[in-house]
Amino acid sequence: MKPESGARLAVSLLALGLPLALVGGWRAARSSSVVTMHARMSEDGGWSTETLRVAAGEPLQLNLISDDVVHGFAIGHSDLTPIDLQPGQMVRTTLVFPQPGTYTFYCTRWCGPNHWRMRGEIEVTGPAVSADAPQPPLYQTLGIDLDAPHPAAVVPARRPSAARGADLGIDLPATLADLSSSLARSPAEAWLELRADPSTDGLSGDDVWDLVAWVWRSYATDASIEAGAALFAQNCAACHGESGAGDGVMAGSIDVASMGSGGTSAPLAPADFTDAARMLGASPALLQGKITRGGMGTGMPYWGPVLTEAQIWSLTDYLWTFQFEESR
Amino acid sequence: MTSPSARRVILAPLLIGLAAIGWLLVPLRPALAPSSRTIRIEAGNFEYFPSQLTVQRGDRVTLELVARDVVHGLHLDGYAVDITADPGQTARATFVADHAGTFTFRCSIPCGPLHPFMIGKLRVDPSDTLARAAGLALLAVLFGAWLARAKADIPATVGAAAP
Amino acid sequence: MTSYELTRSPFARAMLKSRWPQLAVQLGLLGGLGLVIASGLLGTPVGSRSFAIVMVWIVWWAALMLVAVPWLGRAWCSVCPLPLPGEWLQRGVIGGPPRRGSGSARGLRWPRRLRGMWVQNGAFLAVAILSLPVLTQPRWTGILLVGLIVAAVALGLIFERRAFCRYVCPVGGFIGLYSQVAPVEVRVRDAAVCAAHTSKTCYTGNESGYGCPWNVFPGSLQVNTYCGLCMECLRTCPHDNVAINLRPVGADLTQAGPRAMDEAFKAILLLGSGLAYTALLLGPWGRARAAAAAVGSGAWLLYALGFLTFVAAALPALLLAATRLGLWLSRIRLTPIAALRTLSPALIPLGLSVWIAFSLSFLLANLSYAGPVLSDPLNLGWNLLGTAGVGWAPLGQVLFPWLTIGILIAGLAWSSQRLGAIAEGLRGGPRLAWPMRVVSLMLTIGVLAVLAP
Repeated sequence: MKPESGARLAVSLLALGLPLALVGGWRAARSSSVVTMHARMSEDGGWSTETLRVAAGEPLQLNLISDDVVHGFAIGHSDLTPIDLQPGQMVRTTLVFPQPGTYTFYCTRWCGPNHWRMRGEIEVTGPAVSADAPQPPLYQTLGIDLDAPHPAAVVPARRPSAARGADLGIDLPATLADLSSSLARSPAEAWLELRADPSTDGLSGDDVWDLVAWVWRSYATDASIEAGAALFAQNCAACHGESGAGDGVMAGSIDVASMGSGGTSAPLAPADFTDAARMLGASPALLQGKITRGGMGTGMPYWGPVLTEAQIWSLTDYLWTFQFEESR
Repeated sequence: MTSPSARRVILAPLLIGLAAIGWLLVPLRPALAPSSRTIRIEAGNFEYFPSQLTVQRGDRVTLELVARDVVHGLHLDGYAVDITADPGQTARATFVADHAGTFTFRCSIPCGPLHPFMIGKLRVDPSDTLARAAGLALLAVLFGAWLARAKADIPATVGAAAP
Repeated sequence: MTSYELTRSPFARAMLKSRWPQLAVQLGLLGGLGLVIASGLLGTPVGSRSFAIVMVWIVWWAALMLVAVPWLGRAWCSVCPLPLPGEWLQRGVIGGPPRRGSGSARGLRWPRRLRGMWVQNGAFLAVAILSLPVLTQPRWTGILLVGLIVAAVALGLIFERRAFCRYVCPVGGFIGLYSQVAPVEVRVRDAAVCAAHTSKTCYTGNESGYGCPWNVFPGSLQVNTYCGLCMECLRTCPHDNVAINLRPVGADLTQAGPRAMDEAFKAILLLGSGLAYTALLLGPWGRARAAAAAVGSGAWLLYALGFLTFVAAALPALLLAATRLGLWLSRIRLTPIAALRTLSPALIPLGLSVWIAFSLSFLLANLSYAGPVLSDPLNLGWNLLGTAGVGWAPLGQVLFPWLTIGILIAGLAWSSQRLGAIAEGLRGGPRLAWPMRVVSLMLTIGVLAVLAP
């Protein structure tokens, strides 16, 4: 063998090695039952796979890796602990879905203005387990028009306090103590009902507002408000602001171009929860509806597939803290 | 007794050395009374706004990190500060700036391609490091000049040949 | 202080003459290069977790800047894996001595017009204006390295010797010029032996080894700039007249006379790019960085023009003006260009200190990324060394500002001394040096303002 054959062989091996590695890696990825999912900012493609399929009860192995910034992986309506994805670090996880259905997976760490669009679906196939048809959300049952304006007929002169309301020592009328009717009633409507009730005759207008706040606290527990605060910080504060005033860091970047038809032509600012005229005219059911269904072209995401009803009610319980004081 | 030229040889570096020591030790600025400060730092697009902070020694400083676009971190050298902020969740750290000097803070969470260059500086006054370093630089130039006089290592030539 | 011959020891001479230790290191590095390219092209796009980015621009660069170049001269070039495939094809042999009739090269001589450092200067500047994506995005690093290998193979098949290394490699000019500082050199023991030796096998080659791949005549080596420490001349000299010496640091800087135009320009170019990189990457000007990263955009074009104008026009003009002032003060009879070429070696300690301080800054800040990338080089979730989960932590950050000041001050003092020594050597006065000293002082203070306080 001529001496340079050795050299030629060596260089050829080196030159071929790279394409072979490429092909080998690609083929290995295709044949394996493990799904490798790359996470990118929504503007750069989002999740590399947006639909996954698995049979009920079968394990779904995922290799998750972020290709740019910090992302997170979680599944809506499940108790899976969200998995943080640090850039460039692969995380392996195995998921098992006992029940068939469609599950939404989503990103849990803000990764740009279109973070909330980073979602996909896992279709879990299998024999349908007979279950009760899911209840429609309260806003649908009540037939609330989510897009109609809802100005409050009256607003308080000072910030209502639930503790002051409790101190007034008034027995609430039965209609106001009932949860489902409380959820259907806006605070302004509650105020009007309380004002009309004889038991509040000696109280000032602001005192009656304190009673309205107390009504809120009678069904919103500490745990619920705390859960709502955490959900707000993680999901809402980026646009709505940590102070709830609609001045969050993402507020100026709401992606007008990607909104479908049916929205207004000018980008709207995120809702200002500190605006009494707007907030106090909305019932908790309306807020639940807005959160569940989204904003129909305003840039407000729809959280229905991601948050459970209980979580959304916790959020609405928390939202009233922008209007009411919990304590004196 | 040392000869006059030998004295000159020792004198120059001696003077330069004494000047350097003096320059390093003499306080250049009075310290102001410490106070409590809160500084809001916004982080976005691989930059900190503001990126250059100044506080007084002894100040109780609270840093508020506000992330504008993605998750960012802030790691401050010299003080045990390492916080991470998601957009919508301001992170806070409080510390007492008891060491004077200039300290670099960097992003501690990979936030994109230019992440390694996301840098800011915190100056705790009285800090005259730059002035002192500049003074030392001047003395270094003089020292080099003296070395060249004292120790010629290139044989003398008349001019130089054309290229 | 005189030099000490390392190869006086028979063991050292045997180790350096033997091809096998060198080949072993080269093969190891070639494997590393393959992994780097695989990581760059196939691994994660996240720079801080990329084997390619971390091992090349943090580990290798720091080793080059802090250890190899200042202390071992062009030792990296003797084991660099980039030219190896091309050289093996050219020689027809892997690592061994020449064999009759082997090799597939055309063996042309490098064109006269392309000699010198100009092509290298151009390659260096081309990489420099693309530096931000190259330093931060693994794909760019992978493509750059593949491109350099392809160029080295092509040039190895067309031209004789290590044409790529000597005339094209973007890092080569940098390493070559700053290797003048290193305390290691290859020199002949006795010039008379070379004069009497007619066949000059150190340059032409014989059955023991190849003629100098760096196109240098070892018999007349006076400075380190173009000697790649490949040891071929140790193997080919029949009189064992070639020696490796330890010598005082910076010995090559004391060579009298003006430097060649391309070398002088290179010294200015390297000083300028060191200053520019320090300001761009470590300064508070985020807009400039963003512009430098957005290759292809109008902002990037502006940055590229600004960078090139500064290093190739503004800084040379400033130094030329300082030289003119010095000539006027000292009344030395030289043209300004000739005087600047004579003074240019003094820019080497200054430029090197700026590069070392700059490199140390991001080395200390980012060395902790090495643990994770070594354990998981292809980002597949491996943990080969158990360090995949090691978090980022900057090192030595309280010490660093003082280290920076020390390094820059030392470089400035040395540069000032060189300026004075060169001026003294030009009978007519040390005043020639003062304007350049002032410029050096201003530039150093500028770097200090960015790096330390």
